[in-house]
Amino acid sequence: MKLLRELFHYLDVTAANIKIAFLSIIEYPANIIGWLLSNPIQFLVGFATIQFVVNEFGAINGWNYGQLAFLYGLSVISHALSMIFFVNGWFMGWWVLDGEFDRMLTRPMSVVYQFFFTNINIFGITDLVPGVIVFAYGCQKIGFCFTLANVFQILVLLVGATLIRGGVYLILGSTSFWTRSAIDFGAFTQELFDKTTMYPISMYPEAFQFILTYIIPIGWVSFYPVSGLLGIENGLANGQVATWITLFAGILTMLVAAGFFKLGLRRYESAGN
Amino acid sequence: MEQEKVVIEVNHICKQYKVLKKGEGIKGALKGLVTRESRLVPAVDDLSFQIKAGEIVGFIGPNGAGKSTTIKMMSGILTPTSGEILINGMDIQKKRKEVVRNIGVIFGQRSQLNWDLRLGESYELLRHIYQIDKAQYEETLDVMDQILGIKELLDKPVRQMSLGQRVKGDLVAAMLHSPDVLFLDEPTIGLDISSKYALRKFVKEINEKRKTTIILTTHDLADIEQLCDRLIIINHGHLMEDGNLSEIVNRIAPYKTLVVEYYDEYAPEHDKCELCFHEENVAKYRFGKKEITAARLIEELSAKAQIKDVSIEEAGIDDIIRVAYGQ
Repeated sequence: MKLLRELFHYLDVTAANIKIAFLSIIEYPANIIGWLLSNPIQFLVGFATIQFVVNEFGAINGWNYGQLAFLYGLSVISHALSMIFFVNGWFMGWWVLDGEFDRMLTRPMSVVYQFFFTNINIFGITDLVPGVIVFAYGCQKIGFCFTLANVFQILVLLVGATLIRGGVYLILGSTSFWTRSAIDFGAFTQELFDKTTMYPISMYPEAFQFILTYIIPIGWVSFYPVSGLLGIENGLANGQVATWITLFAGILTMLVAAGFFKLGLRRYESAGN
Repeated sequence: MEQEKVVIEVNHICKQYKVLKKGEGIKGALKGLVTRESRLVPAVDDLSFQIKAGEIVGFIGPNGAGKSTTIKMMSGILTPTSGEILINGMDIQKKRKEVVRNIGVIFGQRSQLNWDLRLGESYELLRHIYQIDKAQYEETLDVMDQILGIKELLDKPVRQMSLGQRVKGDLVAAMLHSPDVLFLDEPTIGLDISSKYALRKFVKEINEKRKTTIILTTHDLADIEQLCDRLIIINHGHLMEDGNLSEIVNRIAPYKTLVVEYYDEYAPEHDKCELCFHEENVAKYRFGKKEITAARLIEELSAKAQIKDVSIEEAGIDDIIRVAYGQ
């Protein structure tokens, strides 16, 4: 009962935070124009990339044109979701050095929650557009059936994949509590995830695959669950099992990351004045 | 007996910061990369005190004395290296979320309002965070409107506000959830006279009307003189003085200063007091309250030289600070 009340509290505050994120957009109309301009550009770049990859390789390790688009599209979608909710992990060093956690620590909610959700990056929506388009294109190419069960699987997959990404951002960012430096992990993380979630990881050496499966669970962001969903042999988990493992991996990664963050927060020194 | 209830209990807290040792020049920098020798710097050293419900306590001390560190430990921001802090009997380190429901924090240099939006939106978010029901929210806002006139600001975007208006906005933001304890870290910094006045009025009134316990740090001595029942002086992380303002003044600075303006540059000495300043026609005499009265001193001085004007400076907080900081 207490847990349920707690859950409602967090959902209620999340709704209020989302409202504020939207209001901030409306407050600066110029940003909307930038947003509308960047939209088609992002879409074009995203689409050109997938086109290039597919034309160049045709099939990779048994993945055909449509399946690659499906994988790529879903990966961009979970990337976009992680940009909306978890992008602050990239800039944690700045938050640490600037004493930005002071305010969160004086409020009666989880600091990890506040860190991510009081600053929802609504502009991350722009990344959703190319993702959805490429994904739809892939679906159409392979004749993916949008049955209720399939839609549910994709939702579970996206939640898990987004949590894995967010967890990795949080772990990397939390090192700032020890280093006390404002390293921007953005470029590095983006590169890492682009290279490992937009193409099947089965094309990489086995040792690398092992790391991406068991140590940093990035393989579960797209490769395993998508191959499971599309019936492509990945040698580990087939069908819905893969999707559920993705969700489990996501929750686990986020929990480990939150624990690491909390450990770091004890070393937090605010900002001197 | 409400007055006697202890709200804050600080037991032997210490806080040390780790500072990396850096050698000189390139050689030192390279050595630092390998060895990472660090040194512990104590910011707060074995501090203990208690604060009772309804008190207004002023924390003073020079820059770097450990005031902000102490207030940040009391409000749950910093983790003490050792010792414990109980608020309403609960350890703030162990039950942070529960404890902070009952505290409000204002940092003079850092606003908690959303810069981009109208003030009301920030309050609306706080209403959700602290789960304040609509009726209670409206009631608190009414009270705050009487004290600070906040309602006319509700629709104004925070970025268009003057510093004074923003501070008002922050004061109300910290009170929306009706905390028992309010921490103010240098609240008057940068404010003009009328905004300072509004802030002091606010502190007094919420203390009277809501029995809010207030802890504030400041460099503005007038804040202390006008607001605080009790003064805690910290220096080098130690507690130097703790007590009533006039009591501390009488104990460590039991004197007044007589400022005399003469018609010419000659300023006579007096054996019962110290001539501590003399420039052109103006002289200042510091005298012990038990040694001689001001009336007597004026009378005796005027017998030696012609006096144009006099004024008396009470030993105040700056004298205490001079003495206490000097230790």
